[in-house]
Amino acid sequence: MSPTPAKPGGTRIPSRRTVLRGAFTAAVVTGTAGALLPLLDRDPAAADGPAPAPGPGSGSGSRATTEEFAEMYRGREIRGTTTVVVPAGAPADDRGAVAAEPVTEIRIDGRPLHVMRRADGTYLSDVRHYESYPTLLETARAAVDELGTARLAPPAAHHM
Amino acid sequence: MYTRKNQRDLTRTEKRRLVDAILKLKRSGRYDDFVVMHREYYVMDTERRPRPAHMTSSFFPWHRQYLLEFEKALQRVDAGVSVPYWDWTRDNRTTSSLWAEDFLGGNGRPGDRRVTTGPFAYAAGNWSVGRGVTDEHYLTRNFGRPGSDPVSLPTANDLARALKDPVYDTAPWNSVCTEGFRNRVEGWGIRGVRTVGLHNRVHQWVGGPMAGAASPEDPVFWLHHSFIDLIWDRWRKAHPKSAYRPGRKPASPGPDRDYVFGLDEAMPPWRVTPRKLLDHSKVYRYA
Repeated sequence: MSPTPAKPGGTRIPSRRTVLRGAFTAAVVTGTAGALLPLLDRDPAAADGPAPAPGPGSGSGSRATTEEFAEMYRGREIRGTTTVVVPAGAPADDRGAVAAEPVTEIRIDGRPLHVMRRADGTYLSDVRHYESYPTLLETARAAVDELGTARLAPPAAHHM
Repeated sequence: MYTRKNQRDLTRTEKRRLVDAILKLKRSGRYDDFVVMHREYYVMDTERRPRPAHMTSSFFPWHRQYLLEFEKALQRVDAGVSVPYWDWTRDNRTTSSLWAEDFLGGNGRPGDRRVTTGPFAYAAGNWSVGRGVTDEHYLTRNFGRPGSDPVSLPTANDLARALKDPVYDTAPWNSVCTEGFRNRVEGWGIRGVRTVGLHNRVHQWVGGPMAGAASPEDPVFWLHHSFIDLIWDRWRKAHPKSAYRPGRKPASPGPDRDYVFGLDEAMPPWRVTPRKLLDHSKVYRYA
C-alpha cells in the first residue's frame, strides 16, 4: 500500500473524508442460539464497567463484535478492524481475559500501529501511550495527531 | 551518598557534565538498552503476566530502581553526575532554562516538530531516536499539544490534591483505581471520574517520543521521573503511618492481585522488592 504523503509543514488539515465510520458488525455466530452482545458499540456512558454483562442466550452462543473503519484523517489513511469473540459459556475470569485481547489491527498509511487495551476496555497505542480511547477509530486519530508528519516504523522494526 | 538537585539550580558546568555523560552513554549503546527495557516492562493491565512498571502498585519502586540503574550507568562515565529533577509545577514555561540551548534544547519546530536546538538536536550529530515506533531519527517535541486537544502541565494544586490521599494504592491495583495516591500520580484517565493527570499528563505535554512507548528516548524522561520519585518521598513524609500496598500475597490471589508486586515480591529484571526501595537515604537525597 502506498503511503499518503504527509502535507508539508504539518499544518492541520481541516478536510477529512469518512469513508466508513464505526460500522459495528456483529458477525461471528457459533452454536444455535446466536445471541450477540457488542462490546464496543455501546453508549459511552454505559461503558464504564470492566466487562459487559452476558446477554440473553449466553449459555449456548458466543459474543462477538467487530469495529471497522477506513478514512482519510489529516491526510493520512487510517484503517482498523477488531474482532472480539467471547465464548459465552466460559467462566467469568476467562471471559474477561478473552475480552481483554481482541484481535485488533490499525494501519496508518498501510503500516501497522501496535494497539493495547486497558482494564476498562479502552485502547492505547505505541504512539500515544499514556492516554486511552473508547474506540479504535479515536485511537487511530489520536496516533495521527501525535505522529504529526512522522510515519510509523515499517513492520520489521516494529517490535525492535 | 549523592544529591539530586532541582534542574533549575544546576550550574553551567553541572549541566554540561550531565549532557556529556548522557551522550557518552548513547554512543556506547547502553542508553538504548534503557529505552528497550522500559518498553519491555510496560505491561498492560489486561495482560496475564507480571506488571511491574505501569498500571500497577509498583509504579514508584520500579521506576526508582530504573532511575538508580540509569544513574549508575551515568556515574560510570562521570562519577560526579546525578539525575536532577524537573518540578513541572514551577518550571512550566517553554522558556524554562530546562529547554535552553545549553541543556535539553527546546520545543520542536513547526511542521515536523523536530528539535533543532541543544545537544539532542539531530543535526548536532549525537542523538537519534526511532527504536520501533516511528521511522524518523530526529527527536521531536510538541509542547502542550496545540490544536484540537491541547494539554497543560499539572499545577501545584493538582499535585497537592494527590498528595492528600492517605492510602498508597487500592485494589484492583491497576489503571482504573479511582482512589489511592499511586494512580492519582500515575495519572490514568478514568471516564466519569478524572482526566489524564500528573505523570501521564507530563508525558503528553512534551509530546514526540515522550508521549509514546519509547518515552526514555527523550532525556527529559529522567528529569520527569526524578521528580515523580521525589513526589513519592513527599507522600511518605506526609503520611508516615501509611504503608506501601499491597502487602503479603494471599494464598490464593485472584486475577487482580496475581500480576502485581506486593511489598516483599521481587520485581524484574533486578529481583529487588519494593520494601528494599522505600528508604533511599543512604544512596541519594533530594535538594
